[in-house]
Parts: sequence; structure tokens; C-alpha cells
Amino acid sequence: MSWFLSWISGAILYAAPILFPTLGEAVEQRAGMVNLGLEGLMLLGASLGFAVSFGTKNPWLGVLAAAGAGLLANLIYAWLVVHRRAHQLAAGLALMFFGIGMSALIGKPYVGQMAPVLPKYAPTGPQSLLFRYDPLVYVAFLLAPLFWFLLFRTRFGLRLRAVGENPAIAYAAGVSPSLIRYIAAALAGTLAAVGGAHLSLGITGTWSEGMTAGRGFIAIALVIFSRWNPLRAIVGALIFGGAVVLQLQLQARGIGVSPFFLDMLPYVLTVLVLLVWGRGVRHVAPASLGRVYFGTE
Amino acid sequence: MKRAVLGLVVLVFGLVAAAEPCLIVGMIIGGTKDDAGYNQSQYEALMALKEKMPCVEILFAENVPAGEAEAVLESMILQGAKLLFPAGFAYMFPALNVAKRHPDVIFMHPGGYMLADNFGTYFSNVQFAYYLLGVAAGLMTKTNKLGFIGGMPTAFVLGNCNAFHLGARAVNPNVTTYFVVTGAWVDRAKEVAAAQALIQQGCDVIGSHLDSPIALAQTCCEAGVFYVGYPSLAVQKFCPEYWITGLGLSWGDFFVEVAQQVLAGTWKPEHVRRGLEAGFITLGEFGPKVPEEVKKVVLEFKEKLVSGELQPFAGPIRDQEGNVRIPEGTAWGPLDMGKFDWLAEGVVGSPK
Amino acid sequence: MLSSWRARLGWSAVRLLLTVVVVLGVFGLFLWGLGRDPIKAYQDTFRLNILNPRGLAGVLARMAPLLLTALGVAIPFRAGLINVGAEGQFMMGALLGTWAALNLEGLPMGLHLALVLLAGMVGGALWAAVPGVLRARGWVNETITTLLLNYLAPLVVGYFVFGPWRAPELAFYPQTPEYPASARLPLLFGTRLHLGFFLGLFFLLAYAYLINRSRWGLELRTVGGNAEAARRLGLPVERWILAAMMLGGALAGLAGVAEVAAIHTRLKLDISPGYGFMGFLVNWLAFANPLGILIMAFLIAFIASSGFTLQITQRLPYAAVNVLMALILFTVLAKPLAQRGKR
Repeated sequence: MSWFLSWISGAILYAAPILFPTLGEAVEQRAGMVNLGLEGLMLLGASLGFAVSFGTKNPWLGVLAAAGAGLLANLIYAWLVVHRRAHQLAAGLALMFFGIGMSALIGKPYVGQMAPVLPKYAPTGPQSLLFRYDPLVYVAFLLAPLFWFLLFRTRFGLRLRAVGENPAIAYAAGVSPSLIRYIAAALAGTLAAVGGAHLSLGITGTWSEGMTAGRGFIAIALVIFSRWNPLRAIVGALIFGGAVVLQLQLQARGIGVSPFFLDMLPYVLTVLVLLVWGRGVRHVAPASLGRVYFGTE
Repeated sequence: MKRAVLGLVVLVFGLVAAAEPCLIVGMIIGGTKDDAGYNQSQYEALMALKEKMPCVEILFAENVPAGEAEAVLESMILQGAKLLFPAGFAYMFPALNVAKRHPDVIFMHPGGYMLADNFGTYFSNVQFAYYLLGVAAGLMTKTNKLGFIGGMPTAFVLGNCNAFHLGARAVNPNVTTYFVVTGAWVDRAKEVAAAQALIQQGCDVIGSHLDSPIALAQTCCEAGVFYVGYPSLAVQKFCPEYWITGLGLSWGDFFVEVAQQVLAGTWKPEHVRRGLEAGFITLGEFGPKVPEEVKKVVLEFKEKLVSGELQPFAGPIRDQEGNVRIPEGTAWGPLDMGKFDWLAEGVVGSPK
Repeated sequence: MLSSWRARLGWSAVRLLLTVVVVLGVFGLFLWGLGRDPIKAYQDTFRLNILNPRGLAGVLARMAPLLLTALGVAIPFRAGLINVGAEGQFMMGALLGTWAALNLEGLPMGLHLALVLLAGMVGGALWAAVPGVLRARGWVNETITTLLLNYLAPLVVGYFVFGPWRAPELAFYPQTPEYPASARLPLLFGTRLHLGFFLGLFFLLAYAYLINRSRWGLELRTVGGNAEAARRLGLPVERWILAAMMLGGALAGLAGVAEVAAIHTRLKLDISPGYGFMGFLVNWLAFANPLGILIMAFLIAFIASSGFTLQITQRLPYAAVNVLMALILFTVLAKPLAQRGKR
């Protein structure tokens, strides 16, 4: 039983840095924008967060700086996509290159350095020490229901989804698609960068180039897996975190599993979801996803 | 007046020396030079070469993926490099390809097992020294469970894990070692997860063979378990409290030797393997929590290892299934280290 | 007709030149801000990657996979499909090609190589067929599935490279045994330039001819222009969608197997520094125009090669070149070509 608990505890920890960008991307895609730049945003957050924490000796300022940088960087994307009507996928890839490059330049002096990391807290109760996490883990899991509420139970969420379905109709109904998309992009950029900062300041306490190791892309897969629903994103993130931890725990018990099989799990599940729901997914997916909206300036 | 002339002469020579390097030396590494690990140790050796032979000009590139190695090596040759250190395991084949095209450039690869007319290899006898870390760990453990994290299940990694385990068993027959692979030389988040899995398993001393065990050290500090460091001693600053000791790769003097041979035209392609005795690897200082008796025992083992009295891989050594891998009366030497595809009896984990 | 085409081309060339000048200026300022000498940096880059024949061969070698992956995106693009999956198709091409290379040994020289390349194309085509079928049935958008499969492909390759196909003599570093000589694409002139480059040029020419001058090209473009109208004309739209995806996948797969058969000579995990994504950008920058693909593939190959020059001569992290790439893309993206259609 105790290994099960330690597995769950690990799954939760490693779900958090992926849950942040997944939630952000879900909101962004609900507003009709696919952003392939998450990996870049995460790296930017990881490196800038670490650098600022190193400089100010305050990890929270690091997280804050990461959030701000992610927000600004993703506004470049939003500006290109919304105002310049750029191709979303190309703009996302450009943002990815930008983030990879900038994070390496920013982080260069901080490789092999130590910076103050986020403090850890344990809840009360039995086995509570197993669930001792930095606050960002709690934040990630609290944000998911919050975003669900925002998307499905508020007027803003309704408008946002309307923009994602059909910007022209939303515009006719008095909603500004541009504004909504800027807000969605700002949220997504912030969250992705905070997810990156969680890796450098929460989990590892170090910065190394490319340290997100593809998590920004897994987040995009998880958005599809969760069918654009923040609550289901929790499940997706836990499966991902659980796979990472399970594979190492099995090894430590002498059970050899090809790490690649477990790493494939989130993708295979997503593909299965697409196959099983088939037609259904098409109806769930925001209809204007990826399209350039020419309606209004 | 005389002095001024002398000064001028020196200055002119200096300028000439600066303009015309005696040798252009290139190095590529797969990680960053400040990783407090493998890449840092390679870079430090390069810098030591530059310091001891100022007439050498250095070309250097880091974070070079193996797939890109050929392009970067070619680019360095274009810039006049005559001696190249493709300083990563994964660069052996790309470097051999480039070496074939450029017979006038000399390549020195760390740990490779192939030779060509202009391609030699060097490495420290790490596995033998790692035995000492095992001795220290075997004496320090309370739970009799040791952990070992490898980046990939390669021969050198398996060899180090075996050495760690055998060293520990030499002083503490009850030790079990748990072996975990992350699947990448650098993936900090996975390294933390691997360390946590081992700690939950009850391991209280952790060894590793990664590019850079920084995240591992920090995880150990947080959990209050001991660790040994490899491949650079620089990692101890990330958790001085639970540092037992470690091994640092130290090749500065050897690089000077190679550069001089290349200049003199006496360089020959060979597998250079040396250990503690030649300064190719250094045993670190002990951490604050290591008792005097432990230090004494480890240093005794070290003496026997350096003198050649102790053979860490002397048979009989069995693998996990109980098959004898090194028969009685024989011992594996430095050039056998590429042959490990098994884990020793008492290690839990998969060698694949 | 012809003159307007020429004028448009001229205008594009001017615009491209302006973009490059602006970006080089901005990046130069950026370098200067980092305390580097931009003029020297550009000089070195130009001297080592263009003027030097060996350096130029390196750039051209890098163009080979870019040309093929860009075509792998361009063909579906002409059918109205967005293939973001060239990266995965590249890997799967390399995987199946490696199977042929290691298991069909003993065949005559040319035949073995031809089968290896063919197997690579089949690998890429099959990998692209999954999104193709899903899209043709109207189930799932191909953008989503091609993207997803990109991340699955390296894991499948990893499974084989670390597992069943791992070379026994290499307890060292996980990779497959070496391709036998009969399965290798020859390198040319003692440089890294290989036959794959000419395969890329060949397929580029074939694409240029077929897409504009053949009935197939016309049908494909009709499907891409307006699927509904194409259906009314009696064209097998679903079949065209699947065919376009598989053709694209085949070329991306060819890029993968060619890269391994020429440069790496063994399958391993890090055979692509993102050629699939770069190919997507090449096609996007060129808007599926054959000449544009040629120019953009060269530009991107040149930039990617320059990254290491900058690192060696200017002590800049390689990733700095990603900033340069991003600056170019941002600049181009910020100049919308609204007339570029409704995609």
C-alpha cells in the first residue's frame, strides 16, 4: 500500500508542471488558437524564473518574473495571430524557437548555480509527509476547477467559447474576438511560463538548457486528450506524471520495463480517445481552431 | 635600454605568438561546460591545456547533439583545428567519419573502443576508482540499501554500478544495490523522480553516473540521505552536508601531453587508460558527517588499489542470475570495461 | 500573365531581401548588446559556410532533409491539408528504412539501397496514413493528429534502438548496428554532401512539374481549393486527401532514411534537430511554391549551420541562432499576406 501512496504522491508532483501549460492551452484553444510555442514559453519561464530567484534571493519573485515574461512573449504570438492574421502554427513554432533561444541566453550564466527554491508544505493528516509539496503544486490543482468554472459557468467563458466556435457570430453578438483572444493568450502564456518555473524552482532547483524535455508538447496532446476540458486535464496530467514515476519505481523494484512504453502512454491514450470518440471529438473541438479570422480589424 | 629592447622583443614574440597559434585545438561537448559534471571536467582539462600551453588556440562548442557533431567538427577543421577532442561517448562514430575525411587532423575520443591512424582514445579507469565510493557507501549505510542512478544502461554505467556494489559488499556483505535508469544523460526532473523512488525504497546512500548529478545532490540534502559524487567534484557544493566523497575526472596534464606529442609528431593512436595512480581521476575530500574510521578504511583501500594489490573485478563474480561472469583466478582490466552488459549478484534492477 | 508573375516574383524577392536586411540589423544590434562584434560574426559565418566549399557542402547537406520535409508539407498543403507531422514521418521513415537496411543484406548494391529508400518512404507514408484516414472520414482534424504522432514516433524509434535492434557491440551508446555498405547513400567529393540532396532536387522538380502541369496536380489543387466543388465535379475527394497525406509522409520519410543512410549510418534517437518542423516553416515561408522552397530551404539550412559557427567564433550558445530564426519568422509573420488565401 505504501508504494501505491508514494506512486500517487509522485504522480501529483510531476503532474503539476504539465498541468499549468495544459490549462493555459485549453483556454487558448477554446478561444480558437492553437499555440505550438508552449515549449518555448515553459523554457523561458524556467530560465528567467531561476535567474531572478538567483538575483533577488526570492523564489516568488522568480515565479512572478516568469509569469510576466510568459505573458509578454505570448502577447507577441497573439498580436501576430490576431492583428497580423498570421498563420497560427507558424507563429507558434516561431514562438517556440524564440523561447528556446532566449531561455538559453538568459540562463547561460546560471548553469551549475544554486538559487533559492520554493518552500515545501505538508497538509495535515495521515501519511501527510508523502504529500509535502511546494505551493505551486496546490495552485495547479486548484486552478483546474477554477478554469472549468471560468469556461463553463461564467459569461466570460461563454463569450470565449463563442469566439472559438465562430468569431463572426460572436462579433455580431457584441463580443470583441480580438480582446477575448488577447486575454486567453495572456492567461496561457502566464501559465505555461509558471509551469516552466515550477520545474526549475519547485522540482529540480537547477536550470539546464532544454530542461523541459518536451513537456510543452505533451501539454498540447493532453489538451486534446482532455477534450478541451480543464477538469479532464487533471486526469491527463496525472496519467503523465504517474507514468514518469511508475517507470522509475518499477525499475527500483527490479521490474524492467522499457521506459519508452510508459512514455508512450499519454500519446497512445490520446490517439485512442480520438479514435473512440471519433466524430464526437470533432464536435467538441472549437470549430474555428487554427483558422485565421478575417472578420474584423 | 637593454631591458626595453628585451621587453620589445618579448612583446613582438608575444604578438607573433598571439597571431600564429602553435596548435589549434577543438573540443565539442554534449552538455554545458558549467554542469558540475562530465562536461565541466572535459572543459576544465581544455582550460588547463590552454593555461599550460598559452600558444595553443582553443575552439570550443557545447550542447552539440550527436547528430550535429560531424558538422561542428568539420567547421572546426575549417578554422584550422589540428587536434580535436570530440568529448562525448556519442561522438565516436561521427568523429570517426570526420577523421576518415581528414587524415591530417588528430582526434582523441574519451572512452571509445575503436582506433584509426589519426584517432585515439583516452579515459580514466573510473570503474576501479568507483569501487572506493562503494566501500565508503557500504560503511555509511544504515539500511543496507544503496541506490544507483544511471543515465543510460551503457557498459560504463553498468560497470560503475557493479563497482559501487562490489566495493560496498567488500566491507558490508548485507548490502543490496537498487539500479535505476532515467533514459537520458540530462533530464533533471526525471533524476529527481529517480532519486525519490530510490529513497522511498529505503536507500540511504545514492551513487550515480549522469552528466551532472546536481539535482540528485539537492534531493539527497532535502531527504537527508547520503550521496557520492561523479564525474566532477564540483557537485559537492550543492549539498555539502550529505556528501560522502566523490571522483573527479582530471585530464589537464594529459591534454598537454597529447598536444606536445602532436606538435612533435610523435603522437600514436592508442587506447590510453589510466587511473588514480596517474592522476587521471581524483578521489575527493570527505564530507563533514563521515567518521574518521570510515575515512581510514577508504584510504587503505585506495592505497591497495593504487599499488595494484587490490583488483576490484577479480573473479569469481556472478551476475544477477547467479552465472559466473568473471571466473575465479581471472580479473577484468581497464580494457574490459566496455564488456559489461550484466549487473552483479545483489543488484536489483535491469541491465537493459 | 507571365509578366505579372514575374512582377510578383520580383516583388517577393525585394521583400525577402528587405526582411533579411532588417533581421540581420536587429540581430546584429542584439549581438552587439551581448558584447560581440556583429560584423566579424557575419563575416565569419559567410566565409565559413558559403565561400568555403566544404562549408557550403555542409549547408547543402542540411538542405537535403529540409527540401524533402518541406515537400512533405507542401503536397498535403496543396490539397488543403496542414501536415505538422513531418517530424514524426521523418523518424518512422528512418525506422522502416533501417529495418530494410539491416534485414535485407546480401542483395545487390543498387537494389538494396533502392529498397531501403523505398522502405523509408513506406514508413513515412504509413505514419501519415493514420491522420489521412481520420481526416478523410471527417473524424479528426489532421493538424491535431499529425502533431500528436510527432511525439509518438521518437518513442517507437527509442523502443527499437534501446531494445531489440540495439547493436550488441555497443553497450556504449544505444544505436543500431551500422548499415551495410550496400545500404548507404554515397557521400560526394569527400564532404558531407550526399545523394539525398539530389533526390531532394529531383522531387522538387517533379513536384514543380506535376503540381502545375499535370491532371493530377490540377485535381489535387481543386480538392484543396474547394472540396465541395471538387466533390460535385466527381473527384474522389477522400482518396485524394489520403493520397496527399501519404505522398507527403513518403517524402518526409525519405528525408529520414536518407539522413541515416548517408550521414549517421546507424539509427539512433537524435537523427533530427527538428527537420520536420523546419520543413514546415520552409513550406510556409515559401507558400508551397517550388522556387520558394528551394530558396527558403537554403536560408534555413544556412542559419542552422551558422549557429555553430557563431558558437565557436563568438562564444554564443547555439540556441542564439534560434533567436535569429524566430526574428526572421516574426518579421515575416508580421507582414501578413492576406491575399495568401483563407487559411
